[in-house]
Amino acid sequence: MLDLKKGGLAALAMAMLAGGHAVAADAPVKIGFAGDLTGACAALTEDELNAVKIGVDELNAKGGILGRKVELVIRDSQTKPDEGAKVARELIVDEKIDVLTGVCSSAVMLAESAVSGELKVPFYATIGSTQRANIELYQPYFWQAQANATMEAYAAAEYVAKKAEWKTIATMGSDYEWGHTSVAAFSERLKKLRPDVTIIDPIFPKVGETAMAPYITTALNTKPDAVFAALFGGSLGSLIKQGQGFGFFQRTNLVTLMTVDTLQSMGSAMPASNVYGIARAPFFALEQTPEVKAFIEKYRAAYKEYPTDWSINGYDGLMFYAAAAEHAKSVAPDAIIKAISEISYDGLRGKGLKVRAFDGQMNAPSYVGKATKVPEYDFPILTEIEKFPGEALMVSEDAIAAARKAAKK
Amino acid sequence: MVLIQFVNGLMEGMTLFLIASGLTLIFGVSRIINFAHGSLYMLGAFLTYELVQILAPGTLWGFFASVIVGAAIVSLIGVLFEVTALRRIYGADGLMQLIVTIALVLIVRDVVRMIWGPNSITVPMPDALAGAIVIGENYFPLFPIVVFAAGLVIVLAMIWVIYFTRAGILLRAGTDDRGMAALLGINERMIFTAVFAAGAFLAGLAGGLSAPYGEVNHLLDTTVIVSAFIVCVIGGLGNLYGALAGALVVGITKAMGVMYFPRLSMVLIFLIMAAVLIGRSLGRQGGSAR
Repeated sequence: MLDLKKGGLAALAMAMLAGGHAVAADAPVKIGFAGDLTGACAALTEDELNAVKIGVDELNAKGGILGRKVELVIRDSQTKPDEGAKVARELIVDEKIDVLTGVCSSAVMLAESAVSGELKVPFYATIGSTQRANIELYQPYFWQAQANATMEAYAAAEYVAKKAEWKTIATMGSDYEWGHTSVAAFSERLKKLRPDVTIIDPIFPKVGETAMAPYITTALNTKPDAVFAALFGGSLGSLIKQGQGFGFFQRTNLVTLMTVDTLQSMGSAMPASNVYGIARAPFFALEQTPEVKAFIEKYRAAYKEYPTDWSINGYDGLMFYAAAAEHAKSVAPDAIIKAISEISYDGLRGKGLKVRAFDGQMNAPSYVGKATKVPEYDFPILTEIEKFPGEALMVSEDAIAAARKAAKK
Repeated sequence: MVLIQFVNGLMEGMTLFLIASGLTLIFGVSRIINFAHGSLYMLGAFLTYELVQILAPGTLWGFFASVIVGAAIVSLIGVLFEVTALRRIYGADGLMQLIVTIALVLIVRDVVRMIWGPNSITVPMPDALAGAIVIGENYFPLFPIVVFAAGLVIVLAMIWVIYFTRAGILLRAGTDDRGMAALLGINERMIFTAVFAAGAFLAGLAGGLSAPYGEVNHLLDTTVIVSAFIVCVIGGLGNLYGALAGALVVGITKAMGVMYFPRLSMVLIFLIMAAVLIGRSLGRQGGSAR
């Protein structure tokens, strides 16, 4: 027993002696995927991981990153911040990963981002989208490969502002950080664009609320032309299903988060009109380039379903990292971080995707459109889509600097 | 507006009662706090989803038949739980009950995720119930009204069973004095199993009936069990009328709270719960199924 241990140690010592650059050149590039594979985020994370797996296979088929094989190391953070921090640490310290990604929940994302900053290993988010990771909790090894929550709310405000006939807007949000910041950002942008619009004081159902009837009644009581609802999952589904009994979609319009998975799960229960959705990367709204078409086909062949927003962003995020590594000619953390703000990447969501060095925010687009049933798909899609380029939605560096200063006090 | 909110509250209260009644019934007899009750509810919803597609999607009879058949299957699953697991822990301490029933929660959740996947599913609403009764400017949605009516029927049926049938007498005997009932030659085990079957049936029924009105996914179990517990604590665990009162109080308080004190509506419910607990009423004691 003791001998074995000694032998193991000797082998380890030899490996370390032999180590240095020679070994590193042949060693794989390790992608640490610390995602919320169980718990509230499970469905989204599964879609993301499915696409990341396709991406890793594609990279390896082309010879990997910098000629090195790409290896995916997967851990489950169980949608729990402390668990996320733990597995992120384990991946970095024990597995020696080169980059960390995968996370969905904003709370878990902030926990993992803190570990990434502490251990100086790059970390990028493709689902979790709290702007706090860009503002007061920003750390230089982080980037956000999608529009953050504030940008999405801005996109919604831009879209709503163009509806000249809408004069009164009610607001509603899940009673936690995302719901509150989304409603605040939406109201702020809309007030600027349309001073004539009356914005009703927001109501905040608790997180995960599914008995939406009292909130529907309260919102409708103000006779709004539209209701902006920063809700998702069960609360959103319940709002749409229960709203129909109150004539919600005859009496007003709903503007809310509407990613492909939500469209699919609503299916035939989606009202025929009056629902407007904000999306991150709906496959049907992407410019149908050969790359996009090939990805959709490959995804469908592998998983027998359409890729969701989470899949598209997961794939795009990985490919962006690969492009940054090729540009830097290295996967060393500092080289990668330098590279992400130097490259311009053409991905599934369009050309010219870049990360701003100041806050690690990608100029990723947001999509807003009208939920419509169409014969081509057995679930509703978004039509009359407007794609808002990221630049127009990003919070200015000055405003972020001011917010960071305010948060320090 | 006040009227609609009141009706909204009644509707939610009835759904809560349907969930809580089974929990409280099982506790009343077996003194088991069944954390897996929410899992049975969830199974009811998923089974209804499957059955509706097979039977007749969109129709009234198809929906109700699916709910009842689904609940019957859930009842069988409940019996399976009772015979294989819970029967072994009657009389064990609370911690053991917690461990066993939570284990069941985790098992059911993973099985559901394996079969139906992590995404939410939508149970189609019967076409006839999709609309609303419109009086002036007030909309009274049809579906929850029908669920409310179904709930009333279930309440009356339960009262009838408990008071006017032999099964009910046995149930009350078992709840009041287990030892005495056993001395009189009543098969205690049979009662426990039967009560568990009934409780599981109610859970399945509640899950199926509520399914078209919200999202159904593998995380439904915990959402449901928390609200069921609040209701039971307010009403007194084991007390059926208490559960009914508790459910209606929670539903109505929440609906009214949203209108008058939107920031406080959840707090109000917990305040009531705290007041009940402090007031040493039924809440702490756990009454019987009378």
